[in-house]
Amino acid sequence: MEHMGNEASQGLHLRGQFTRRQIVGASIAIPAVGVFLAACGDDKADDKADDKADTKTTGVSGDSKGGTLRLATTKPAGPLDPIAMDDLGSYNVIAQTFEYLAGAEGDDIGPSLATEWTANADSSEWTFKLREGVKWHDGTDFTADDVVATLERIASAGDGLGGSLPTEDDPDAPPPEGDASPAQRLAAGTVTATDGLTVVIKLGASNASLPYLLCIYNPQSAITPKAFAAGSTLDGSPNGTGPWKLDSYDPTTGAKFVRHDAWWGGKTPLDGIDMQFFADLGSQVTAMSGGAVDAIQQFSVVGGDALLSDTNFNTVEVQSATHRQIWFGFDEGQFTDQKVREAFALSIDRQELIDTLFSGRATIANDHVIFDLYAFHDEGAVTQRERDTTKAKQLLADAGFPDGLKATLNAVDVQEIPQLAELLQSQAKEGGFDLTLNIESLDTFYGTQWCVSYPCAGSAELGIVDYGHRPTPDVYLLKAFKSGGDWNSSQYSSAELDAAITEYQASAELDKRKAAAGKIEKIMWTDIPAAIPYRYNNLGGFSKTFTGVQFTALGHTLLGKAAKA
Amino acid sequence: MLRYISRRVLLSLVTLWLLATIVFLITNVIPTDPARAILGNTAPEASVIRFRTQFGLTDPLIRQYGRLLKGLVTFDFGLSWGTKREVWSLIEQPLFRSAKLAALAMAITTPLSIFAGLIAAKFRDRRLDRGIVLVGLATSSIPEFVTGALLAVVFGVNLHWFKPVATIPPGTPPLEQLQYLILPATAMTIAYFGYIARMMRAGTIRALDSDYVRTAAMKGMSSSQVMTRHVLRNAIAPTITVMSVQVGYLFGGIVGVELVYNYPGISQVVLNAAKKKDLPVLQVAVLIVALIYMVATLLADIIIAWLNPRARLELGQS
Amino acid sequence: MTDTDNILQRSVAERKQARRENWRLLRRRPGFIIGSVIAGFWVFCAFFGQRIAPYDPFDYRDTKQLSPNGEHWFGTDKIGRDIFSRVLTGSRDVLLVAPAAAVLGVIFGSILGIFMGYYRGWVDNVLSRIVEALLALPVVLVGLLVLTLAKSSNLVIIFVVAVLFMPIVARTVRAAVISERDLDYVVSAQLRGESNIFIMTREILPNITPPIVVELTVRIGYAIFTVSTLSFLGVGIQRPSPDWGLAISEGRDVLPANIWWLVTFPALAIATLVIAVNLVADSIQAVFER
Repeated sequence: MEHMGNEASQGLHLRGQFTRRQIVGASIAIPAVGVFLAACGDDKADDKADDKADTKTTGVSGDSKGGTLRLATTKPAGPLDPIAMDDLGSYNVIAQTFEYLAGAEGDDIGPSLATEWTANADSSEWTFKLREGVKWHDGTDFTADDVVATLERIASAGDGLGGSLPTEDDPDAPPPEGDASPAQRLAAGTVTATDGLTVVIKLGASNASLPYLLCIYNPQSAITPKAFAAGSTLDGSPNGTGPWKLDSYDPTTGAKFVRHDAWWGGKTPLDGIDMQFFADLGSQVTAMSGGAVDAIQQFSVVGGDALLSDTNFNTVEVQSATHRQIWFGFDEGQFTDQKVREAFALSIDRQELIDTLFSGRATIANDHVIFDLYAFHDEGAVTQRERDTTKAKQLLADAGFPDGLKATLNAVDVQEIPQLAELLQSQAKEGGFDLTLNIESLDTFYGTQWCVSYPCAGSAELGIVDYGHRPTPDVYLLKAFKSGGDWNSSQYSSAELDAAITEYQASAELDKRKAAAGKIEKIMWTDIPAAIPYRYNNLGGFSKTFTGVQFTALGHTLLGKAAKA
Repeated sequence: MLRYISRRVLLSLVTLWLLATIVFLITNVIPTDPARAILGNTAPEASVIRFRTQFGLTDPLIRQYGRLLKGLVTFDFGLSWGTKREVWSLIEQPLFRSAKLAALAMAITTPLSIFAGLIAAKFRDRRLDRGIVLVGLATSSIPEFVTGALLAVVFGVNLHWFKPVATIPPGTPPLEQLQYLILPATAMTIAYFGYIARMMRAGTIRALDSDYVRTAAMKGMSSSQVMTRHVLRNAIAPTITVMSVQVGYLFGGIVGVELVYNYPGISQVVLNAAKKKDLPVLQVAVLIVALIYMVATLLADIIIAWLNPRARLELGQS
Repeated sequence: MTDTDNILQRSVAERKQARRENWRLLRRRPGFIIGSVIAGFWVFCAFFGQRIAPYDPFDYRDTKQLSPNGEHWFGTDKIGRDIFSRVLTGSRDVLLVAPAAAVLGVIFGSILGIFMGYYRGWVDNVLSRIVEALLALPVVLVGLLVLTLAKSSNLVIIFVVAVLFMPIVARTVRAAVISERDLDYVVSAQLRGESNIFIMTREILPNITPPIVVELTVRIGYAIFTVSTLSFLGVGIQRPSPDWGLAISEGRDVLPANIWWLVTFPALAIATLVIAVNLVADSIQAVFER
């Protein structure tokens, strides 16, 4: 929020001795949860209700005003199944009604349903202290049993927090059909409620990042009541703990929310939210600039001109790790030679991409995923790769392509990616690459060009794929770059990198983590499984007739503190 | 007349059956993997197999075809693959919305273009006529999604006269809904005005040139009497036919307009269902739109037959 | 020389004469001249657009979203490419796809129509039902459906649009054939024992060329419209083509910022091409129906 330094230091001493802060720290000027500075009022009194029973809100501006906020969001792609949902539209509906053990705070995570969390020495056993006085929308109390039930559901119906939760076969489950894998259930004693408000999680292996798997940035970990049945949808049984009760939900038009009076965060200044679903950015921008909505969940610089130049509109820019990977095939094709990959990376004019596609609202990246916004980023590990087309041509010649190289650049038609592909085509030409573009819709791309068969074989030799924000790079590393990762479209396999990732994951202390991260940076920068030209900031915004609308780096809109100006 | 109508209705049923067959073929001849598309790339093979059995995707095609036909007869189309809701419940509201927009567009276009057509014919080859014809040709050559986008920006964003998007909050009274629908309807009017006016003009000219009109004029009827009694009646027949055809086009042309105004109509259902390979929804949605077109042409033919008994004979044979 | 040859030769000569006469009348119509010139310009651009364009439509980068000025007559787009150059080259795909679809649709439709009109009876009855069913399918909606289910490519677009245009052509051709088939020359050919295929292709077809030509020009106009709409919807011609429909969909989101030149110029290009084709179609129709 608006007093970053302040908040960060508060966070440090309020929580247990082993908080995420100590691992990650906070060093970025622009917070990951953004509120437009000028729009928010006065002092730290209106900071989010912190730990303990401190739920008072002095409100950004008088609580009595009430009113409804009309929010433009992307239409949910499918049913609101807490496990299967995988799109921002769904996440944002859920985030109004349901909450997570950890929420968004500054550029990191902070207390939400859990007020503090601690781990044992090797991060294999975690204790979460839950917030007191939290009520479900139906009036019942939120207890540790609800958390245990949620984790059991995630273990049996989902991936068990990326495989972190130890599971065993479920003898009571119906016999599997065909080559089905057996139904799973949480291994006995994995998750226990030691008292009404304490949950202990025993992991199979050390994981210093566990709270990140139980936070708002891992939307599938939303906490549901004990009575919630696996397989049902969240709009079907919308009993959450969040500030907004789901009043009506229509998957094609929108959702209406009304205030949850007993919310632990205090009385919301607004009476309700009118969420409207949109199929594309163009109509969202039109609606926002025409005053048909009061806030827009997310927009891009390309195409967002009308909003960026609107004086009645607050643009909220949030630092995020959202980035694009230009992957190179390691298994076959023309990019198996490191020289060719380096030549491609050297052809990219990163600054031009950022200027054209983001009007500067992005940060140069260096072909690895330990971005500068992570506290353990080691800036000394590798130098920034700069454009050098002469060297690129030389490398191509050395690799056996003295007359340049012809290839198809595959890309998915999402946000700025088509324009990125067109710019890359143009830039790479000067480095000796004659690229043909194949830009495919979201619906076919992932099945035909990227990770055609599970776990991620058959990808094209060259392509651009999108990665959303994560508060730590674990998911990128494990899924896209570790040997056999199920998003590893490069088919990249390096024992060295795998070892560095393991070292990174087991290192809880910042120094050790930084050392491991530096190794990762160096290996990725040298091998170049993917060129990563930039990471960019998430943009959302709202009309100046409102205050206190918050946006997360992933693209949630948080409205518990929003009010009419 | 009754025999004519019942014959036409019966033939329409045959056409509907053929239509269902065609739509079934289209959606099944294209190789797709609905289970994968719906469950996602990374879903385990087990749940994909479970999905296929659950929704009968492994059944022989003839059985799936039978299910579609049975659905059409009983009006129970089963569950959508993607959302697991009733197919009809996913189509009903969007269809109603599209129909509402199409009806409004027709309500504006029809009197306007009939009037323009009559005027143009009356002042045939004069400047007014040339002007109407030219305007009609020009406006119908600009795609409706362009007109729609421009109207939204000018009258919605810049002037704030109407809503720039058609996201009508539930429970809005009908008159207030106009605020949201007027711009998309106008965009469609601009696109279709020219064509209908042209047909009306041609029909009127043909009627004006015909013998009976000349006779009537010679008998000393006033020109307005001739216009209403003879010309209008005969000129309107081809226009009605065109309008009934336009109903089909409206449901097609509406696609771009619905996108521009973010209006959750039938085209969004089709687009989303096609993306998810949700074949039951896709089949029923397209069939219903085709059915509306068939009903419209049927009604048009009946009206024409009623207006002009001579045409009945000709129509009866086709 | 037999009688048959004589009749055939005479009718060939007559048709040649009629063609010359039609051509003479056509050239006198201002609509035809204007339409042909504009359409001809776009066809020329489809072939040579990239050579006459002042900048490289794909590989040119200047300041983005510059408003129209002396250097960039139509301004620049989202990544700074010259819109004038892109509009000039933007006709290439649509002028390949749309006429191909129209021609194919007219060929399919004519074959079907001739069969229906010539054989009548149950052949006609059955095919008529199918044609009527196909006619009820909304073109854009079904195009959207097929191109989303299948992977979009120029070939698929051509085929889909052609099939969707087929029924309406078939209906027109059938009507024309019905009015021909009881005429003397058909009857005498049947009496001579000519095969049905021969009569359909060599006797009837030449005599129903006018309505087919009219249908073709009209369908080309519709095809341009349909293909542009599908491209706008994202299922038609694919990036990085400078196609007009695609350019409109790319430029739509900056319209509220009053950056109008991204949408307006490609839209005007579509409009001029469609108007031109319609003017030509109208003139041909007027001459044939005189």
